[in-house]
Amino acid sequence: MTEPLEPVEPPRPAEPAGTRYPEYHPGSAHAELNRPVHERYPQIRPTSGYGDPRVRHTGPGPGAGTEQEPERSSKLTARLALAMSVVVGQLWALTEVVDVWMEGRTGTAWWGAGFLCLSFLVVLGLWLLDPKDR
Amino acid sequence: MSVTEQQQPGGGGNPDGDPREALHDRIAADSLTTRRDYLRIVTTVSGGLAVGGLGVAAGILQRHGEEPDGKAPAPKRIAAQLLPGESLAFRYPGDEDRAVAVRMDDGTLVGYSAVCTHLACAVLWRKDRGTEGELYCPCHEGVFDARTGEVTAGPPPRGLPKVALTELDDGSIWAVGTTRSGESIEAGLCRQLGDDRPDLAARIGCPGTGGGAEAPSAPDPSAATTPGRRA
Repeated sequence: MTEPLEPVEPPRPAEPAGTRYPEYHPGSAHAELNRPVHERYPQIRPTSGYGDPRVRHTGPGPGAGTEQEPERSSKLTARLALAMSVVVGQLWALTEVVDVWMEGRTGTAWWGAGFLCLSFLVVLGLWLLDPKDR
Repeated sequence: MSVTEQQQPGGGGNPDGDPREALHDRIAADSLTTRRDYLRIVTTVSGGLAVGGLGVAAGILQRHGEEPDGKAPAPKRIAAQLLPGESLAFRYPGDEDRAVAVRMDDGTLVGYSAVCTHLACAVLWRKDRGTEGELYCPCHEGVFDARTGEVTAGPPPRGLPKVALTELDDGSIWAVGTTRSGESIEAGLCRQLGDDRPDLAARIGCPGTGGGAEAPSAPDPSAATTPGRRA
């Protein structure tokens, strides 16, 4: 009776003394495999889109093509969702500002304009939280 | 070689094998449209909306009947007569300020801006609609009450600005002032006459002028006291 084959993991470097987790180096241990996507796959153009699985699963090599920092992705999604929600609120506020201006309530219109500017600062802050993020 | 087969490494890119440079190249190479791009676009749109709000509050939009110099519009004769059930399209006070006057069946004379507050289509008088006729915008089925100018159906966000009308003894119809959306005719006239014609504002009983309601003694079109009603 044959036992099922267990997946063979590639040898990992020994953990340095004093650290519980090894330092993570994304990508392949072979540097030549970590070339940019368009070099590894010349068929992929910048307009190919994520529909091409080779964009997201950019192997070979351990870790190559996987999400290398899942928290970054979640944070970016959250920032985008928050910013879009704020912009929806701005659209509503602008309609209100136009209405109150047309009704002659200029002071209220200025308050609305202030709200729009504050909302813009919020969105700007969300954008500037991590400007080097991709 | 199939399209999915890799080319042999080498020849440019990262010949010295620096892992940090390789990682940087790899990240920088994924130049597809990212969520970060969308975030930048959303930020730009947000800034545009903020600038638009400031512009609106500062007055880039023109209100009906509002002169650039802030003066009250001069009275204007718009028709020799207007029979019950009929309407009249005219322009007051400027050539770009489209308006409509309606004589309802009971003799009430009303005037409104003919520019729909939704998307600025032309508002029409439809006698056959409603119980006593309606002001109707055919673009998006907006309906305004003929007596008050308020929205009764459809997408318009606010009522029609009014045009104060009066009728002289000879039957001629005069436009004497305008109001903003939701503003009463008395408030609109007082606002416009308060600075330019304080004596007239006092005669029609505007607050702060010290005068009281008083009927005009002469058929002066600018001395209308009951605009919107048959004199």
